[in-house]
Amino acid sequence: MSAFQLDPNTKVLVQGATGRMGSRHTELMKRYGTHIVGGIAGASGRREGSDTPLFGNCREAVEATGATASVTLVPPMGVLSAVSEALDAGIKLIVSPSEGVPVRDALKAYAMVKERGAFWIGPSTPGLAIPRRMKLGFIPDVSLTPGPLGVMSKSGTLSYETCFRLASRGIGQSAWIGVGGDPVKGLRFAELLPFFQQDVQTRAVLVLGEIGGTEEEELAAEMERLAFDKPVFVLLAGASAPEGVTMGHAGALIQGGRGTIQSKTSALRKAGAEVFTSIGSLVEGVASRDV
Amino acid sequence: MGIPIPAGVFADSGSIESLPLEGEGPWVVKAQVGVGGRGKAGGIGFASSSADVADFIRKHADTSIKGHKVAGFRIESKVDFVQEVYLSFMVDAAERGIRVMLSAQGGVDIEAHAQHGNAMLSAVAAPEEAALVAAGRQLVEQLPPSLQRPLGDAVEKLARAFLQFDASLLEVNPLFVLPDGGWVAGDMKLGVDENALPRQPALEAVVRSRPAAYRESNFKLDHDFDYVQIDAHGQVGLLTTGAGLSMMLIDEMLQAGRRPYNFCDVRTGQLRGSPTRLIEVLKQFTQGPDIAVVLVNVFAGITDLGEFAQLLLDALDAVPEIKVPVVARLIGNNFAAAKQLIEQSGRPIDVELDLDEALRKAVEQAGVKA
Repeated sequence: MSAFQLDPNTKVLVQGATGRMGSRHTELMKRYGTHIVGGIAGASGRREGSDTPLFGNCREAVEATGATASVTLVPPMGVLSAVSEALDAGIKLIVSPSEGVPVRDALKAYAMVKERGAFWIGPSTPGLAIPRRMKLGFIPDVSLTPGPLGVMSKSGTLSYETCFRLASRGIGQSAWIGVGGDPVKGLRFAELLPFFQQDVQTRAVLVLGEIGGTEEEELAAEMERLAFDKPVFVLLAGASAPEGVTMGHAGALIQGGRGTIQSKTSALRKAGAEVFTSIGSLVEGVASRDV
Repeated sequence: MGIPIPAGVFADSGSIESLPLEGEGPWVVKAQVGVGGRGKAGGIGFASSSADVADFIRKHADTSIKGHKVAGFRIESKVDFVQEVYLSFMVDAAERGIRVMLSAQGGVDIEAHAQHGNAMLSAVAAPEEAALVAAGRQLVEQLPPSLQRPLGDAVEKLARAFLQFDASLLEVNPLFVLPDGGWVAGDMKLGVDENALPRQPALEAVVRSRPAAYRESNFKLDHDFDYVQIDAHGQVGLLTTGAGLSMMLIDEMLQAGRRPYNFCDVRTGQLRGSPTRLIEVLKQFTQGPDIAVVLVNVFAGITDLGEFAQLLLDALDAVPEIKVPVVARLIGNNFAAAKQLIEQSGRPIDVELDLDEALRKAVEQAGVKA
């Protein structure tokens, strides 16, 4: 399997490009500069003010346009079949923003993605972006600005807020990837680290993590394995979340003493990362390092 | 499903006078609480007479175990077993598969056993019945021959149940192996994937039938967004959008020495021109006696803040019981229109652009009453 890469000239399909949300986001991505080359109709099929060419299915769309990436703007129960259809058509990068995808569907989708040597981002993610070049999903323009930070995040809103404040201090992003808030997902923090190591635009990495799961601990282990030498700044949310209670993100759940803020903080610090528990202190921390 | 469980009945403190006991005893009395480690915490009693059963119920009714209220008791005939086994299936997010775990030394000391050496066998399989059963059987084959027939059968039935119910966890501990080569699930924990409830009507019915036990899940089923009460005596009602940012706000509020009442993620992108969700959250706040301020936070990447401000005002009109000041941190599309609309309303709403400043104001207001 080739390594994960992002090319701003990637030709992109939108699965679920009609209806109120589908039309709107297709148009917003296009306006941002993304090479949206075609769409597949969603359930309603209604076209609303978009001139994106529509196709009957992914295979026809790929044959006509040469698209290699896709954004699945479909309901959560439709994500597994949308991913399957995209892979069958030869798509190599799939972004799935939907919230509420059953875990079993995510496991099956991941297994298919891996078998085809493709990459999957999400579910439950605002997507990914290269500032001023392309956007797959709906990261808000106001938070996007070119700069040195490679961003990866479990949370949409926390990353919008944090990157907006950093941007207003003149610190932007090289690339921004939302891995999503679900426990079972496509690319995880640790799997994105080699990409940020290779990427010359990236001079430091910003991680928006949260309690639950083991992704932050895996990231710490990968930093040590790669002898990662760019600064890594981590903001962790959920320090005060009670054990056994889920707060919005299915992945943010402490169980049996695992996934705690203490475990994540100590692993990351040991690997050389700077860890913060408030947005303000993180912004100051990044600004003071002059990346 | 065919999963064998001990014969038993439900009882509570009201049934002490006429206990619905079955058989001759001895019995096991289990306090009904939704938390693990119940046996170690004294929630399970053994009784050889109906007087003993009544005694245990009297002693444990209206108590809590690990912070969970005892909801009643299940009285079971004590199982005559040759071995207590641990068997579980769970989603392993990091391995992106289903982990099967098996130990011939089950029971209440399972965690201690697992920490001491290699008593726990484990394997990861794809989420398909054939793969899961094969992985489980391979673990069973490493145990003594006398256990293989009952555990082979248990692996098959439990793997099927795990998949059929879209479970995130199915743990049987203890799994009793019987003298006749059969087995019984002595106790079971089922973790449910809420996202799968739309295709699991039987599980959804269980969740809906017990609103007090599954409060947050019922709220989500009814209203399609997340709301969690954190502190009945919280001082700050949070009307916020975005799970990660809302979690962060709670952390920062506590760091500043104030008690947040709740977590919520109203998902402004899904309001579709209706104040319903906002009204629902404000109604929850009327139950908080110590709420001194409501903090609204919306980072509008796409949402029109002018529209949102109107919905907020409509929602406040609909819940006149909310008389505390409101700090509304709004940022993004159409902020100016939102600010104007709110100021013209004459309501005690402080509109803020900066989150730290909004937090500071909310913290200050919360302190006024405290």
